[in-house]
Amino acid sequence: MEVSKSTVQELLVEEGKAAAEAPIQFIVIRLGEEQYGIDIRNIDNIVKMQSITRIPKMPDFLKGVINMRGEVIPVISIRRKMDLEDDVITKLTRIIVVKLEQEGNVGFLVDEVKEVVALSADEIEKITYNAKEEKSSLINAVGKHNEELISLFDLNTISLEEN
Amino acid sequence: MDVNQYLEIFLDETKEHLQNLNTQILELESDPEGEDTVNEIFRAAHSLKGMAGTMGYKRMQNLTHDMENVFSEVRNGNIKVQPKLIDVLFQCLDALEEYTENIQNNADEGTNDNEALIKQLNNILNEENAGGSAPKKEAAAAAPASAEPVGGDKWNDITLDESQISVIKEAQSQGKKVYGLNVVVQENCILKAARAFLVFKAVEEMAEIIVSMPSAQDVEDEKFDRDFTLILLSDAEIGRIITAAESVSEIEKAFGAPILLEENESYRKIEASEKAEAEEKEKEKELPAEASATAEAHAAPAAAPVQTAPAKQDTKKVSKPVVNRTVRVDIEKLDSLMNLVSELIIAKNSLVSVSSQEQTNTNSAFNEQIEYLEQVTTNLHESVMKVRMVPIESVVNKFPRMIRDLSKKLDKKLELYMTGEETELDRTVVDEIGDPLMHLLRNSADHGIESAELRAERGKPSVGSIFLDAYQDGNNVVIEVRDDGNGIDTDAVRDKAIERGSITPEQAANMTEKEIVNLLFLPSFSTAKKVTDVSGRGVGLDVVRSKIESLSGEVEVKTKLGEGSTWTIRLPLTLAIIQALMVVVGEEKYAISLGSIQTLEDILPTDVKLVQNKEVIHLRGQVIPLIRLNEVLDVESKKAADENLIVVIVKKGDKMAGLVIDELIGQQEIVIKSLGKYIKQCKFISGATILGDGEIALILDANALI
Repeated sequence: MEVSKSTVQELLVEEGKAAAEAPIQFIVIRLGEEQYGIDIRNIDNIVKMQSITRIPKMPDFLKGVINMRGEVIPVISIRRKMDLEDDVITKLTRIIVVKLEQEGNVGFLVDEVKEVVALSADEIEKITYNAKEEKSSLINAVGKHNEELISLFDLNTISLEEN
Repeated sequence: MDVNQYLEIFLDETKEHLQNLNTQILELESDPEGEDTVNEIFRAAHSLKGMAGTMGYKRMQNLTHDMENVFSEVRNGNIKVQPKLIDVLFQCLDALEEYTENIQNNADEGTNDNEALIKQLNNILNEENAGGSAPKKEAAAAAPASAEPVGGDKWNDITLDESQISVIKEAQSQGKKVYGLNVVVQENCILKAARAFLVFKAVEEMAEIIVSMPSAQDVEDEKFDRDFTLILLSDAEIGRIITAAESVSEIEKAFGAPILLEENESYRKIEASEKAEAEEKEKEKELPAEASATAEAHAAPAAAPVQTAPAKQDTKKVSKPVVNRTVRVDIEKLDSLMNLVSELIIAKNSLVSVSSQEQTNTNSAFNEQIEYLEQVTTNLHESVMKVRMVPIESVVNKFPRMIRDLSKKLDKKLELYMTGEETELDRTVVDEIGDPLMHLLRNSADHGIESAELRAERGKPSVGSIFLDAYQDGNNVVIEVRDDGNGIDTDAVRDKAIERGSITPEQAANMTEKEIVNLLFLPSFSTAKKVTDVSGRGVGLDVVRSKIESLSGEVEVKTKLGEGSTWTIRLPLTLAIIQALMVVVGEEKYAISLGSIQTLEDILPTDVKLVQNKEVIHLRGQVIPLIRLNEVLDVESKKAADENLIVVIVKKGDKMAGLVIDELIGQQEIVIKSLGKYIKQCKFISGATILGDGEIALILDANALI
């Protein structure tokens, strides 16, 4: 038991070193007062707020569709998906277009795009999420940056079906 | 040598020939004496054999060879066409199709020798050949031999240089034979160079090519008219070489004979100055023997082609369509071209909207140019669409054969009548429509048409008729499968549905006949009392419907018990760009396909009546239900209750409805964009389109609203 535990720890340290050499970049966004991070490798584009065409008979987190370079892309409100109050559109509102594995390009409404941060693996802490809670299921890790905590989205788990 | 580059041509042509054979043999069955048909069959079989041989598919070649033998006897009148013969021939075609499929999938013909079939063919040959056909054959062979050489000895015009002459002389002194070979390509041959290449290849297997006129390079570049001439060194008989050359398809004729150097003009000139008498004498000794040997060999293979020649010209006038110059294009390239055209139309639309916004100060020249651009893009779009259109013929062609087989299998007399095979549809649709149509036809044959006794009892003609009609109707193409059989027994359907638990007896009591018929489209529903090989596994109709719906089409059935049923498939003509009417509901813009719109009406609020608590209007003697789009789409109407209603009358089949909108924008050409797979819940939105100002408008599917 003792031996295996230390081996595991060694491995973890090694892994950490390897990851530290290649930190992952995250785009930090704001939703209300909280900060969230989205892995930059998933992001296709960030566009300013534009008119969204509503689609009738859709769940309310599905805001509608926008035209991005001739492609019709659905826009999802993360706020509604997490059961927060509805988005308030301001000058700072952005649509982050993410390439999802299953659904292709999908836009996400955020209140503001703040900055890009690079987090090394030892600054990222995976969290075990509670499957019952919609809000936490979108978040799969927490990053520490300048003494601030950033919740990291795992957008590939987002379901476009009605809740 | 690499024949792979010709594999595609080979496959395409083989399929064409097979289809042709299928059609012609069917015709032969109904008219066993048709001379043209037999000739056509013979020619197709002959080409098939040649092609298979050149590509090195020996099994295929063997089978076609024996088929060809049978056809040739039929043509000579030594074999009578009998149902048994036709059956065997069809089995051969199936076997050939199998080979072709194997080749397409694995570039290999497979290992099935089809010995049983070959044996049957030979039996037919032997049975009939026992009589006095042999002398006839010889007589036939003798006649064309004397008519030789028609376009022949061109090789004597070839200018030989000294080195070539010395090669020839040397070879002759070594006992090799020197031949001249003149190959004539068919007049309408498209890929002359490829054919020539195949001839070269075939010839090179048994001979060495010394001289080619035009040069091999020129032949490869297609720089020759209709024939080319070769001088060959070979140990083989010239007859075999000629056969090999002629077995390449689209080769009309090959002439060959041993070369006499002294008949060559250039040689004569050189020789005159050199006077090498001794050698010439030696040659003269050899020649008589050689000549007689080759003449014999020559006569036999020459017999067949010469005989076909006159018939060939006859049918060419009658049945051969004018061959256009064509290019084969990858469908993906067409798709990307189509996408570009779509982008162009969007860009044009935005130019139009910019110009209309600044109407006050735009000059007329600008407007003119915009109009011109509009015209060009519309034409461009039409042309691209046309390129993608193919006649449904390629799909429905195989059905007569299928019905014939079904007729035998089910032991019912069936006749298929087809019209509108030339109706064109988008390529992608045509590729997909075959299976659903086949299902429906099988369905009609198996469930629809009654047994002979029942038909007699009902006073119907003993032969059951199945109709396949295709025609264009506005923006749609309609394909109807109709039969004069039993029709659908709605009671049986209802009982079955209750038994299966699809509906409750209470539900059943309230269902209209039409609703009951529609139950047939539910998954796993089959009313056939027993499962047959043909249909009745219950996987048919729901697959038919989902396939057609995936093509944005719809399928309907009308039926009358005891009289027959009609299945109507309605497909959109184009899939990507449509003419649409732009309308406003609340603050939102929507597009409605012009194809489904009948008229636009201005209706007084007082003209709206209530029937069964539903709003309807009276229009030219018809009662049309109203659909308030703002309610369907969950938006506030901008209009006051006492304002006149703007109603778009839409039609689906024979059903109509009036869609109440707030405002009309006008007609526009729109590019249909998919909303993606995640937005499916909304049945009546069929897609989206991007407007000139970059905004998105949704496309309303009027059919889903009615």
